Amino acid sequence: MSDLQREDERRLVERAKRDPREFGVLYDRHFQQIYRFVYSRVREQTAAEDVTSEIFMKALRAMPRYQDTGRPFAAWLYQIAVNAIADRYRTLKPSQPLEDFHDLSVAGPPLDEVAAQRDEMRRIWTLVEALPSQQRTALVLKFQEDMKIEDIAVAMGKTSGAVKLLIHRGVSRLREESDVLRPAE
Amino acid sequence: MSPYRDPELDDVLQDDELMRIAELLHSARLPEPPLDDAFRSALRRQLMQKAWGPSERGVPWWRKAFAPPALAWASATVGVVLIASLVVFMSTQPPSGTLEIEIQSPVADSSSVKLSQPILVAFNQAMDHPSTEAAVQITPATKVGFSWRANTLAVQPTSGNLAPNTQYQVTIGPGAKTASGQLLAEPKTITFVTQPTKPATQPTPSPTASPNTLPGGLVRLAPIPQGVFYTPQWSADSSTLYFVGAVGALQSVPAKGGDVKVLVPDSVSLPAISPAGDRIAYVRGGKLVILTFADNTTTELTVTSAPTAVAWVKDQLLVGTRDGVYSETPDGPVKLATLEGPNEATAVISIAPDGAHAAFASAMSLFILDVATGKTHNLGGVGAGTTFQGWAPDGSRVLYNGVIADLEGHTVATLPGGDPSWSAQNEILLGSDTELTEVRPDGSGLIKLADGTYHNPIWAPNSTSFAFLRGQALWASSAPAPQPLPSAVDAASARVTAFMEARLRNDSVGASAFLDADGKAAYGEGGPALIPDKDAGFKRFYILTAQPDASAPNTVRVVVRLVFGHGKNEKALVEETLTLRRQLSIDPFLIHGARAGKERELGKGAEVVAIDVQASTVKITFDSDLTPDTVAGGVVLTDSKGKQVGDTPTYANRTVTITGLQLTPGDTYRLQVLTSVQDVHGKGVASEYNLDLIGPGASNASGNHRDDGATPSPMPAPGTPSPAPQD
Repeated sequence: MSDLQREDERRLVERAKRDPREFGVLYDRHFQQIYRFVYSRVREQTAAEDVTSEIFMKALRAMPRYQDTGRPFAAWLYQIAVNAIADRYRTLKPSQPLEDFHDLSVAGPPLDEVAAQRDEMRRIWTLVEALPSQQRTALVLKFQEDMKIEDIAVAMGKTSGAVKLLIHRGVSRLREESDVLRPAE
Repeated sequence: MSPYRDPELDDVLQDDELMRIAELLHSARLPEPPLDDAFRSALRRQLMQKAWGPSERGVPWWRKAFAPPALAWASATVGVVLIASLVVFMSTQPPSGTLEIEIQSPVADSSSVKLSQPILVAFNQAMDHPSTEAAVQITPATKVGFSWRANTLAVQPTSGNLAPNTQYQVTIGPGAKTASGQLLAEPKTITFVTQPTKPATQPTPSPTASPNTLPGGLVRLAPIPQGVFYTPQWSADSSTLYFVGAVGALQSVPAKGGDVKVLVPDSVSLPAISPAGDRIAYVRGGKLVILTFADNTTTELTVTSAPTAVAWVKDQLLVGTRDGVYSETPDGPVKLATLEGPNEATAVISIAPDGAHAAFASAMSLFILDVATGKTHNLGGVGAGTTFQGWAPDGSRVLYNGVIADLEGHTVATLPGGDPSWSAQNEILLGSDTELTEVRPDGSGLIKLADGTYHNPIWAPNSTSFAFLRGQALWASSAPAPQPLPSAVDAASARVTAFMEARLRNDSVGASAFLDADGKAAYGEGGPALIPDKDAGFKRFYILTAQPDASAPNTVRVVVRLVFGHGKNEKALVEETLTLRRQLSIDPFLIHGARAGKERELGKGAEVVAIDVQASTVKITFDSDLTPDTVAGGVVLTDSKGKQVGDTPTYANRTVTITGLQLTPGDTYRLQVLTSVQDVHGKGVASEYNLDLIGPGASNASGNHRDDGATPSPMPAPGTPSPAPQD
């Protein structure tokens, strides 16, 4: 995020803190990414809608108490999201097959390698699903949402070091399954 | 795969294999998940309602407060508190120069604003009242009054209400200034659209999960062993159920519960109770028997072959077999109709309650037989023969495979899933493994009555009780009172609303489902576009007027307007006149004809936004306040010969009223609004407006639904299988 974008966001946030009716602009900016993140975790549309509603309602109520820590506003929303999902996750089991969800089309490799790579990608996210919840969240925020470690730390309520450790453990765990992941020779 | 490197992870992913896995994770991007735009919008609305103030059960404070007879300021008080709290909050903040003027309104960007409320405009600081009021501009031309409460301005039309179906633009111009003299930097416009005069007829709601709404609870009547065909017959007074139980015993039980009585010990099938309720016919051992309740005697009737269907029509007993339909007479059976080309699989399944038609299966297909003429029509393909589901109580429609068809096999309506039973009050119960729902035959009024298992429900003749199967038992319950039937106009308007909504979302397939063959042709080449061009900016629609056509039964004419524009601004409208027809009053309306008028530019003078036609009075509502002197002579109603009818029009509150009329039902009249009609700013109507109206007749809500005096017989037992040979 550029300084200009950051300043623009800060101004919007300040307006929304003063006047909750201004929250609509923040909602418009961040709805898609929060919904996408929630859906990636619960993978069921109705549940994703419920959780997303809860997140933005909580955010609206909490706006007056929001403290700008220098991190993007989205990191704060992700923090609410992570907690909301944790609350719900015990009762929401993923129902949609991963094969239906992940877009495995990747530009780059020659066509004769594509099939093997796609199969590998399908399997890697299947394996991610088997990771402990916090490792899973860290990997999604890092590799799918492209968040900075510090922002993930805010979202997850952890230190940057702890987030790195979660990512390291998650990726290492996946490496242990390298036989599964390695493309067929 | 593109190389992936993230400096943040350099110290975490220190070997090539870990980096490769990170690459994989980063490369398999998640596509956008399925998202319902309606959810996104609804959540935003919900958030904004919360932001505007505390609410209960999702109802905005200003809506509750403005519910009649509450006064405008009662609700404004809440807004004032909100604004005041903001001002207090901001006043406690460190001074940071001049505070920017912020303007909000609860109706901003709303699309169905109630007519009986002022337009609230909230400022974030104290304003100078005279300059702010002077800076208010409102379109369409509307005389307004102002009142203040703290920093909230209420703009109230002097005529009382807002105009229906109208886009309003309320602009606070740059002349407005704060109490401290600061001028508004730039104009602020609040845009919203009002609702119709009469709330839009709601399309069929989705059934909602609700608590069990069955009055009186459930009564377990008798065990029904697995594998026994469920063939209940209600007594004429709805007090007793007759059914076939274990080993084919014919039994009876009081509908409110009680002892089960065995009437015939075994081997009974196809029971059919007489309309008077004094006798019951059944098949036993391949023979047709009538049991008379009064003296408990049985009479064996002669049959030519094993009956496969038995029905009473008044006092006449009809029997279906593999080769046709017979009437049992004192002289023996008389053949009424013959099944052509019988084969091993051919047999009459059911005889309609009026005896005019029979359903029969042949070669795994389902057919309908006209008993009088012997003509047959195919109802369904292979396998359909097993899913015959019953008749309309008057025999005018047949149910099979989840559809309602006419007696020539044309599908009239599609039912939601479940086992159907059609009541004498034209309510269809649908029972399934998980719920019981109710719907009208035209597909409207769908509601969920209860959760739970309700297999093969069957209405009692009184249309208030029904029996059903759950587990291995026969149960009975009471149903809620039938919902009031909508008038023909309301039913047609609901169909038009659903049709227009499909067009609005560019759903040509969905929209086509509301058209009959002539309707499809009307929207074909040379007619209006079914899906308006994207560049035209189709934004919304509203029904201007809907009238039953007294010159044709079950016909309603609806004038609907399509509003076009870009961004927030509405620029033009096109009026379409739709003719809707249905064969019977129980059928859904279909659009039979459509004609589009010329495009009318908006914002160029007063525009008609609602018309109410009664036999003696016609009311024409405009979006603008008019100059009263221009109404007489400017709004004219003429008959088909061009002769002006009615008294001199009168004007009040944006509405022109023509009285002294004696409109002839079914005759055509023409309403003309001439360019001499001016709004309060002296602007004339941009172009002459003409609309043909029909002289209203009596409501044809009941239409020509056939009532030939046939006594409704109990419905054929739903779920009755194709008859097995009973030689």
